[in-house]
Amino acid sequence: MDLLRHLRFFVAVAEARHFGQAAVSLGMSQPPLSQGIQRLERELGVRLFDRDARGVRITAAGSALLPRAESMLEEAAELRAHAGRWTEPDEIRIGFAADLESQVPALVARLRHAGFTVAPTVDGSVPLADCVRDGQLDLAVLRHPIVVDGTRPREVRTLATRLEAPRGYGFDDWARIDLPVVVPPRRHHPAAHDQLVDSLRRAGHSGAVIEEADPVARAAYVAAGRAVRLSVGDAVGGSGASVIPLRVRVVLPVPADRRPHVDLERCAVALEAGL
Amino acid sequence: MSTEDRLREIAGDAGISVWVHAERLDGPPGSITLGGDHPVAIASLYKLPLAVAWADRVAAGELDPWERLTLSAGRVPGPTGIAMLLDDVSISMRDAVRLMIAVSDNAAGDAILARTGTAWLREWLATHGLHDTSVLRGSADTLRLVQRDTGASSTALAERALADVEHDVLTSQYDAALASSSTASDLCAVLALLWSRRHPAHAVVRDALAHQAWRHRVGSGFPHDDVAIHGKTGTLGRLRHEAAVVTFPGELPVAVAVLTRSARAERHLPRVDAAIGELARTAVHPLRLAVSRAPAPGSRPARGRSQSRG
Repeated sequence: MDLLRHLRFFVAVAEARHFGQAAVSLGMSQPPLSQGIQRLERELGVRLFDRDARGVRITAAGSALLPRAESMLEEAAELRAHAGRWTEPDEIRIGFAADLESQVPALVARLRHAGFTVAPTVDGSVPLADCVRDGQLDLAVLRHPIVVDGTRPREVRTLATRLEAPRGYGFDDWARIDLPVVVPPRRHHPAAHDQLVDSLRRAGHSGAVIEEADPVARAAYVAAGRAVRLSVGDAVGGSGASVIPLRVRVVLPVPADRRPHVDLERCAVALEAGL
Repeated sequence: MSTEDRLREIAGDAGISVWVHAERLDGPPGSITLGGDHPVAIASLYKLPLAVAWADRVAAGELDPWERLTLSAGRVPGPTGIAMLLDDVSISMRDAVRLMIAVSDNAAGDAILARTGTAWLREWLATHGLHDTSVLRGSADTLRLVQRDTGASSTALAERALADVEHDVLTSQYDAALASSSTASDLCAVLALLWSRRHPAHAVVRDALAHQAWRHRVGSGFPHDDVAIHGKTGTLGRLRHEAAVVTFPGELPVAVAVLTRSARAERHLPRVDAAIGELARTAVHPLRLAVSRAPAPGSRPARGRSQSRG
């Protein structure tokens, strides 16, 4: 007999205490359900339910066996879920540094177009690097410079940034900009944050920053004329003299064969092509 | 938060990988460690075991500390000491040791290494159980390898290549397997050896450590004029280290070694130097113990400050 199928009958009747309702919940009619319960009782050699005019009552033996039946059904469900992971070999868990802002959806769309199924995570670079080390991510685009011990880092890429500031300010005007720069929180990546502040001071700015995690709120600060910000994209004005670029690199987990059926190298190359 | 967690937190905030070990050099044993047994390329810290081995050899009567060394022009260049001078220099061996320690003089270091001998030094390290420490070469040869790895035409340009913020420039001399290397715990053991010796040659080395020109690393964690810091730094590109003995007045000396490797490539990173001070203070603090509270031999161990302060 199909034991799992009959155990499902047992559990459904035990929950509903009514053959008709149990049959509805199982999406079948009552006679085959009743016959199924009788077959299971014969198979196990014990009576599971007492049926009389007042309804259905579970027997002492039925109560004792019910938890085991339930756990067998749970185990079976877990087995299926686990097998399901192996039937979806092309899902790649990718972490994106939050500094990439609007570039993230563009990169994900590009990968999808190239045939990859992507499960994206957007966070600070330091927590993302920890996820790569722990095997919770297959790939991550992190802001450089970052501690890459325990990962396989690829080449550093330099991305142009755009200054979003009130009209009249260009990239060479850092000394004239007396507004703070609104940036992601320092805890996302202390080393890169400190490097940016050093670069701002080098260029003549005070180095004053506002830390704000939400990119929409960062944009709002700029719209309100209370801050300037750097966002990834082509530099406006094209002078580039005092441009502070965003540097990123793709990192992979070690060992390389953590998920041998996923071609992480090819995905990394496709990702870099979009940066 | 445990001391080890706090050390990790400081490292994360500074953007560095760290290996730390601290131990009390007297009284009841006590130590703090975070990756203290992990081999790390040590850069100029090779001069520390070299100086102690040199003093042992002098104490054994095998070397004359007043022997004159001639360091002729064309020797290894460097930012300090004889290495930054232009002409021939004649100097006593013990003064060369003092310059090698106090200002990390590369020319003096190479001359002392040549005179003490790498083979003899290897044997000395083995004899003293310093199995995780190896001194493969001196400053000139190390800089030559960095120059080769970076393809630079001079050692100055090689240093600039390592400071490239656009690319991740690496050298074999960052690699513990290919460079002179040690562990934070071995370096503390070297300091413990030095603190146990009573020959005047060892006093020369201790005094040179007290006169180290820099107090921006371990020293920055102890901004107290009455606290003695006997330290030696090591620096190469992204590696920033220091091994030191910290002595508070009326307390037992504590050795601490802080070895770091930064994510940032810039040559000047005051935040990292300050983090080394904070790491040292965090590791040393639980080990502080007043001399009077140290137990007499055979008596019950005294309570450490960390316990009394919670």
